[in-house]
Amino acid sequence: MNVVFAVKQYISKMIEDSGPGMKVLLMDKETTGIVSMVYTQSEILQKEVYLFERIDSQNREIMKHLKAICFLRPTKENVDYLIQELRRPKYSIYFIYFSNVISKSDVKSLAEADEQEVVAEVQEFYGDYIAVNPHLFSLNILGCCQGRNWDPVQLSRTTQGLTALLLSLKKCPMIRYQLSSEAAKRLAECVKQVITKEYELFEFRRTEVPPLLLILDRCDDAITPLLNQWTYQAMVHELLGINNNRIDLSRVPGISKDLREVVLSAENDEFYANNMYLNFAEIGSNIKNLMEDFQKKKPKEQQKLESIADMKNVKRLLQNPKVTEFDAARLVMLYALHYERHSSNSLPGLMMDLRNKGVSEKYRKLVSAVVEYGGKRVRGSDLFSPKDAVAITKQFLKGLKGVENVYTQHQPFLHETLDHLIKGKLKENLYPYLGPSTLRDRPQDIIVFIIGGATYEEALTVYNLNRTTPGVRIVLGGTTVHNTKSFLEEVLASGLHSRSKESSQVTSKPASRR
Amino acid sequence: MASLDDPGEVREGFLCPLCLKNLQSFYQLQSHYEEEHSGEDRDVKGQIKSLVQKAKKAKNRLLKREGDDRVESGTQGYESFSYGGVDPYMWEPQELGAVRSHLSDFKKHRAARIDHYVVEVNKLIIRLEKLTAFDRTNTESAKIRAIEKSVVPWVNDQDVPFCPDCGNKFSIRNRRHHCRLCGSIMCKKCMELISLPFANKLTSASKDSLSTHTSPSQSPNSVHGSRRGSISSVSSVSSVLDEKDDDRIRCCTHCKDTLLKREQQIDEKEHTPDIVKLYEKLRLCMEKVDQKAPEYIKMAASLNAGETTYSLEHAGDLRVEVQKVYELIDALSKKILTLGLNQDPPPHPNTLRLQKMIRYSATLFVQEKLLGLMSLPTREQFEELKKKRKQEMERKRILERQAVLESQRRLEERRSDLASHAANGEVVSLRGGPAPLRKAEGWLPLSGSQGQSEDSDPLLQQIHNITSFIRQAKAAGRTDEVRTLQENLRQLQDEYDQQQTEKAIELSRRQAEEEDLQREQLQMLCEREWEREREQFRAVSLHTRTRSLDFREIRPFQLEPGREPRTHLACALDLGFSSVQSSTAVETPSPLSALEPVSVWSGPPALGQESFPQSTVLQQNELASLNPFDEEDASSPTAEGTSSPPAAEPSFGPSARSLKEYNPFEEEEEAVAGNPFANPDSPAPNPFDEEDEHPHQRPSSPPVPGNPFEEATCTNPFEMDSDSGPEGEEPIEEELLLQQIDNIKAYIFDAKQCGRLDEVEVLTENLRELKRTLAKQKGGTD
Repeated sequence: MNVVFAVKQYISKMIEDSGPGMKVLLMDKETTGIVSMVYTQSEILQKEVYLFERIDSQNREIMKHLKAICFLRPTKENVDYLIQELRRPKYSIYFIYFSNVISKSDVKSLAEADEQEVVAEVQEFYGDYIAVNPHLFSLNILGCCQGRNWDPVQLSRTTQGLTALLLSLKKCPMIRYQLSSEAAKRLAECVKQVITKEYELFEFRRTEVPPLLLILDRCDDAITPLLNQWTYQAMVHELLGINNNRIDLSRVPGISKDLREVVLSAENDEFYANNMYLNFAEIGSNIKNLMEDFQKKKPKEQQKLESIADMKNVKRLLQNPKVTEFDAARLVMLYALHYERHSSNSLPGLMMDLRNKGVSEKYRKLVSAVVEYGGKRVRGSDLFSPKDAVAITKQFLKGLKGVENVYTQHQPFLHETLDHLIKGKLKENLYPYLGPSTLRDRPQDIIVFIIGGATYEEALTVYNLNRTTPGVRIVLGGTTVHNTKSFLEEVLASGLHSRSKESSQVTSKPASRR
Repeated sequence: MASLDDPGEVREGFLCPLCLKNLQSFYQLQSHYEEEHSGEDRDVKGQIKSLVQKAKKAKNRLLKREGDDRVESGTQGYESFSYGGVDPYMWEPQELGAVRSHLSDFKKHRAARIDHYVVEVNKLIIRLEKLTAFDRTNTESAKIRAIEKSVVPWVNDQDVPFCPDCGNKFSIRNRRHHCRLCGSIMCKKCMELISLPFANKLTSASKDSLSTHTSPSQSPNSVHGSRRGSISSVSSVSSVLDEKDDDRIRCCTHCKDTLLKREQQIDEKEHTPDIVKLYEKLRLCMEKVDQKAPEYIKMAASLNAGETTYSLEHAGDLRVEVQKVYELIDALSKKILTLGLNQDPPPHPNTLRLQKMIRYSATLFVQEKLLGLMSLPTREQFEELKKKRKQEMERKRILERQAVLESQRRLEERRSDLASHAANGEVVSLRGGPAPLRKAEGWLPLSGSQGQSEDSDPLLQQIHNITSFIRQAKAAGRTDEVRTLQENLRQLQDEYDQQQTEKAIELSRRQAEEEDLQREQLQMLCEREWEREREQFRAVSLHTRTRSLDFREIRPFQLEPGREPRTHLACALDLGFSSVQSSTAVETPSPLSALEPVSVWSGPPALGQESFPQSTVLQQNELASLNPFDEEDASSPTAEGTSSPPAAEPSFGPSARSLKEYNPFEEEEEAVAGNPFANPDSPAPNPFDEEDEHPHQRPSSPPVPGNPFEEATCTNPFEMDSDSGPEGEEPIEEELLLQQIDNIKAYIFDAKQCGRLDEVEVLTENLRELKRTLAKQKGGTD
């Protein structure tokens, strides 16, 4: 159930199988990312892989003394590139690995292009996802849905990614999905379809308790990505942005050349491995510098926020000129999500305040879009239990304050869901099984997938659950890994903001669908 | 993880299941069991139960502690993560994920296609053979035409009004031409020509694939072969210029294309580029290192410990051999790096990248492996070491004897103590009881031949004693006494359990800390090494080819010969008093202090002369601070009770310091450390010491303004990007150069003797370069 290891094993096997000699690794854009997550350059150099080329790169020299290992997604373009490559081979021998199921007809056209008999291997190795942490994977898809429904291209990519994950872990799971989300249902059906179609592939040794795939939708918990996340990994992502474990620092003025891009990999960075899940208080002295930087960024507002006890005071807070546009919008979003149904909802007033404050149109529209995205109407479950509400509010405000307070008060909603799942208490009317069979025992191997993206805070939750519940292994995945900004982009991309005007009315009147 | 959860890790060996006494062998255990516990079968169950409970308790404690840690302190936070729970990183090993092969399918489809293709090619070759079988230059054109027509039926002129390739209409001006290989028609522009040598090459290759071919550079068609893109234009241009093509065969582009492909295949089969040859040699060398280095390390470790299993000479030879291979790896990879740099059309950037990467990985390889290559003691040092080892053994023996005596004495005290203690209890009648009985039956379980170190744990002793009291009381039929004694026993056992648990926790904690420490140190070492390498590279690589890698010994600090004997001693201490360690070290006079007068060892002389004070903790602390090498061992006994961080810190301090001092001359220093009275300035007799360079020294020497040694080849792949300017370059000391030259001469001689001519070549080249550098330098400094 270790996804990093699963992909790494695939890559190692490829290299191993090609035997001794100088090698070149031919990849496409996506597989480059996949490989780079699990192997470092020096590590792969030791295995005699000296060159890394993109299959679509035109400027490749004929080097007949090299063996080529091709690791490609089975897309139409890649097959075409490969056909061209085989007609005029640049390397002595080719070991071809597709990251997913490839059609028989594609195999045939490739075979017919191989007139010089340079191909020595054609296999499917299902490393078709980005392995972020041992228990966290991503597909790097931003904007997977149009409105409430799947973008068909992304649906097929997500299905591929998810089935590849199952194959790489050798799991043939039972599937549960979030009933309130149409997208979750669609994805569940697609995955099931693939499993049925490729039943031969999915024949694994039966385990006592079959594994479980739980498909969720981000709109069920729009709060978590809006809150500041306080673990090291999440913070770095929030403040700097992590992409494929890489941080792009090129925008930072005066940064030295070799720091333009920093790789954060738990496999190779001891400090990172040890601290990625610790929240900032625990890292404390270890990382004073970064913390100081952070403090500089938002010092004033923290002090102001301290005195506030109630979300109602948001109004006053908004008038504070020190609160940045972005954070102000975030506050109102949280408020809107929280008090969506409250009788004395003063959202319109707050929106006015935002306007007065000079918050840009873009952000103001986002508020309603977020409500539309993750409002009660679409939530399948109670995100805010009465007791929760105050806690979350408090937590958020405290969260902005500074280093010394308790950061992880907020438990992502996922924690509760998984907790129920592990205990066998997850309600079947909210999270039904796909198909007739149900799980009688408590699940042991669980794969959770969040449509619309997971967060590092949820990764932490899963990490802790893995540690505290013996016998249970959970892997978390998402169409991407979000920080607040990317989450808002996701909301934006879903196109819900276009209906912003009606939505503000919708939120004020008590609509009831459940 | 398991080791932390399980207190059994702490005590292992032949433990008695009932009293947890450590017996040295199975037989001793058996006899012990028979003597001691044969009567108490009924208790066994309870005892074992308590063992299980103990394990559980320890586990709970650990878990609880983990929670506490996390809440209470930030600094320890990250250690706490290495305890308990199942980290996803530690999930059980998983097998390779699902795979599916399409190879057989692929081959099936390919085979059909290939058959077709091969037949086509063969057909063309056979026709080509027929066309070139006769003497073309001396045959009339009409006759040639007749023969050509007989090889393949020509397509009718009337059937083809347009050129099938370019679509131009045929006319009187645009005449039809026939392909002599397939008979098809094309216009003059689209016509290709096959020269006779090219045809010969193809036909002879298929006739006899074993026959040696002219290398492509000599073949007249080599240009065509390697630059296929330009071929058609070249030949068509030439055909326009040259109307007479009797000695050439006309054909269509399709046939020519097929033939060219064929030629390329032939060429590739014959030709191995230089880089491949060099690379193969490089890999061979690496394999050799992988084979020899561990062998050498084993020898060196043994020799440095003063053992006489291996001969010093043999190890020295092996060392030379390994170093030579390193030298060769370096030279080869450098040669690969510079391949083709001087060629007129410079190599493709990808080729350069490949060469750079190979060089880089070779550098990584050497760096990594060199780290493990420790030095050998010189002959004198070896003698010294041998002597020391002998003394060591001697001391160990004395130590053991003393330990036995010590524990006996203490036992005596304790017993009387206990006796009086028991007497203070309610049972007065016991006072007389045990003492005479003891004497009469002689059951002094711990005082006799089995006076093992473990027994020095006072709690255990008490437990033993009480058990025996109980037995006596039982024998005497005094049931009430038995009851109270058993109550006592239970309390004692509880206390002991707790103590053991604490010990387990302590130990696991310490382990984690030590691991961290080691990791840090290792990292530091690596960084240092890296830095130095860089420096070396900058300064040296420009001067000589051979010198860019530094064959300095890098030793993991545990294996330094200087500390070796002391670690032995420490081990001895550990052996003797492993249980005292965590028990009440303050309470009992430490064995260490008893040791002190005997010790001849190389600690600072002040220590040896010190009379041993009673407070051992103090003594040990002092020891730790005075003797940087012992700190880990010395601090472990004292570390009991106090949490480990303070213990770890001092230990980190000195070692960090010693790392900081680490420099190329360290070899000397370390060698000296083994013998504190040797003169540190004396030159080391080890010939390889001379290779060491002093990075700190170089910057101090004046930079040469004109850079007279600048060479075009910058060999460090990392330097290429950043600064190619040879600023760090400074003259190497002449002496070093001379030594280096001598060394290389020796290598060459050796290589010649063994008949490794390729090595000789490489080395000679190096030698030449060195000499040149030397000459230049002489000129420069004058």
